[in-house]
Amino acid sequence: MSILSVRHIGKRFPGVQALNDVSIDIEAGTCHALMGENGAGKSTLGKILAGLYQPDEGEIVLDGKTVHFHGPLDAVSAGVSMVHQELLFAENLTVAENLCLGDLPRKGMWLDRNEMIRRAQQWLTSIGAAIDPMQVLGELPISKQQLVQIAGGIGRGARVLIFDEPTSSLSQAEALKLLDLIRELKAKGVTCIYVSHRLEEIFAICDRISVLRDGKLVSTVETKGLSRDELVRMMIGRELAESLEAHSATQLGEELLRVENLTSPGKFQPVSFSLRAGEILGLAGLVGAGRTEITEAIFGLDLESTGEIYLKGLKTVVKGPIQAMGFGLGLVPEDRKHHGLVLSMTAKENVSLPILNRVAKLGWVEPQKERSIAQKFFDKMRVKAPTIDSGTAGLSGGNQQKLVIAKWLAAESDVLLVDEPTRGVDVGAKAEIHNLIRGLAAEGKAVLLVSSDLPELLSLATRVIVMREGNMVGELPANPGEESVMRLMAGVR
Amino acid sequence: MRSRFSSIFGMQQFGLIIIIVALGIVMSVFAGSHVDRVSGHMVNNFLNPSTLIQIATDTSFFAIMAVGMTMVIISAGIDLSVGSIYAMSAVLMSLVLQKMTGAPAVEQVLVGILLSCGIGLFSGLLNGIMVCRLGVHPFIITLGTMWVFRGVAFVTTKAMSILVPESLTHFAKANLGLRRDLFPVPMVIMLIVTVVGALFLRYTTWGRRIFAVGGNIEAAKYSGLNINRILTSVYLIAGLCASIAAFVGTSFYGSSSSGDAQGYELYVIASAVVGGASLNGGKGSATGAMLGALLIVMIRQAIRTLNLDQNYEWIIIGFAIVISVVLDRWNSTRAQRRLVHGRQ
Repeated sequence: MSILSVRHIGKRFPGVQALNDVSIDIEAGTCHALMGENGAGKSTLGKILAGLYQPDEGEIVLDGKTVHFHGPLDAVSAGVSMVHQELLFAENLTVAENLCLGDLPRKGMWLDRNEMIRRAQQWLTSIGAAIDPMQVLGELPISKQQLVQIAGGIGRGARVLIFDEPTSSLSQAEALKLLDLIRELKAKGVTCIYVSHRLEEIFAICDRISVLRDGKLVSTVETKGLSRDELVRMMIGRELAESLEAHSATQLGEELLRVENLTSPGKFQPVSFSLRAGEILGLAGLVGAGRTEITEAIFGLDLESTGEIYLKGLKTVVKGPIQAMGFGLGLVPEDRKHHGLVLSMTAKENVSLPILNRVAKLGWVEPQKERSIAQKFFDKMRVKAPTIDSGTAGLSGGNQQKLVIAKWLAAESDVLLVDEPTRGVDVGAKAEIHNLIRGLAAEGKAVLLVSSDLPELLSLATRVIVMREGNMVGELPANPGEESVMRLMAGVR
Repeated sequence: MRSRFSSIFGMQQFGLIIIIVALGIVMSVFAGSHVDRVSGHMVNNFLNPSTLIQIATDTSFFAIMAVGMTMVIISAGIDLSVGSIYAMSAVLMSLVLQKMTGAPAVEQVLVGILLSCGIGLFSGLLNGIMVCRLGVHPFIITLGTMWVFRGVAFVTTKAMSILVPESLTHFAKANLGLRRDLFPVPMVIMLIVTVVGALFLRYTTWGRRIFAVGGNIEAAKYSGLNINRILTSVYLIAGLCASIAAFVGTSFYGSSSSGDAQGYELYVIASAVVGGASLNGGKGSATGAMLGALLIVMIRQAIRTLNLDQNYEWIIIGFAIVISVVLDRWNSTRAQRRLVHGRQ
């Protein structure tokens, strides 16, 4: 018995046909995965079900009746709630206020604070979340904010909960807890729709899987009896170009970067390491271990940091990104939307931003030169956008990430600090990015790689530094084995 | 052919141009006619050289300032002090020129220009440095300097009006070969400022950086842009534009006072926004700002030409600004959509 169905759904955005004639039936009380590469349309479909987008074609059927959601409120009152990829909350308000925002309890003309807190507490308890309703939401870690969102959905009587990439900003332990919660909810009869491209999670909790590719439904299959390889093939429509093989030893060149006793108060304890041309140095660690902070300190973004940085053997003081660039450093940041791209500018303009002086004469941009350089790296990264003059706001996460990397490739950086290059990136693009990072090292560049994806880190890195709670706890050679790194990261002997 | 067609329709200012042309047609049709003093012919009350140049002159002061303002707005800032910079540049320049009576005309004009622009640049620099260093929203900084600069003008003139040498008026009211009752200099300067501003924004690295900082200041920082220098520069440019307008305006009208250009900042911001600038930053254009100023002045003119009740001027302008911005947004989303479908 299907509780929710979409029939022949189509949705267009500027530049892309996000969804094209998609029909899926979702059985009541199951966990149903929407899978696909970035840009496949899975998030769009989730948002249509939650009333955030309206489809251009097709219909949504809930309990056998055609429904029209004109906004998220319609969906919520019909019993369909969403846990967003980017949390949409008033961060300055308390948990209780956020939970009751749509329907604040009143006593006469005044807000009934006690009732509000009582209701919030009840909702939080119902999903077993130990959160103080009076805490300001913005002060909670992302994982707890997510629980608040789930509590809100369940409390408002959601029968269908849509999870959009819920684990993308969680640590491994937090992610496991969330999966347990989803199992519990399912046991209570809540239908879950799980939008993700993480195979492990899908296989762990989902009963059925609908795979989307380029806005079209490839097929809906039972998880039972399905192999990973089959699923990956369905997602990308071809064999994976890359297997996670051991890194072949490349010839190492001169030392490009050396860091001595680099430290930042409250962020990480003194670290020392060096990085040679052709090397990929992996920084392993759990979320909060201080890895991103190290890359920011090297790039001159952390004014509190102290210690010595040598570039090509010369002691340098990096006062900010401008100097860092001058020394041949490039930073592919963790948060591409806030730090990586100017979304109001075109792909071309983003790629040429750090190198404007190189494509200009006396301050005037030379359009041909700019275009040819941008085009070169746009093509090299295989960015899926109509042209280099396309806007960047509508691109999928994977394509945005490719553009950020293209930007720093265009800047001809010798030392690349790469922070979570494949977070939120689909399997196909991930393999391309991996090959590209290997290629860069082979070209004689040095790469400092931060990644929470351990298999990825270990397959790419020629050497691994392990961080734990701001301390450097170990340095390991290539292919150290997942278990030994994991033990160091978690502090298990 | 198709691509040229769609590029014209896709143009950012297309909607604005349509509205301006439509308003011009309406005014020409309903204006009636009168006997021209100079030529003796019957002429349309709107569509005649002297009214058109009068409109251009009225537009020029707003438009010159709006070109600077649009850059501030693109950088996601705001400058409320431009009207006061206008007044301060005008009176300080006039006070110095008063002491220069008898000097050669060219010298007076040059000193006037340099002095006025110098004061404008200095005021802009002050705004820019404070915006960057104090970490206070530019609205507050420039709200403060708006009163400070106006106060300086008031104190130095003791609230008196100051005449400027005739040489300046000769300059600003030169006929440039046109009929003797036509004064195109302000219009010409407006066009120069607009073209320079448009080229600067579109084709220079600095213009590009202004868009980047306004679009996403963090990403701009991570891309190695010097944020402080870029932000300071836009206030510098806004101050310069205000002082150019001050020089032209003061020369044209022959005198200045501390009350000059009072309230202009709001017309100027409105012009930039009507011209497509987004207060969220990252979007705007110099030609749009000029056209925005033209539209506002034309609406004022229409009220007079069409013999509407002038008491309703503010109400009409207020609605017109909101409506034209809404229409512009509507047109640009449509143009964007057309672009998409054209490619598919």
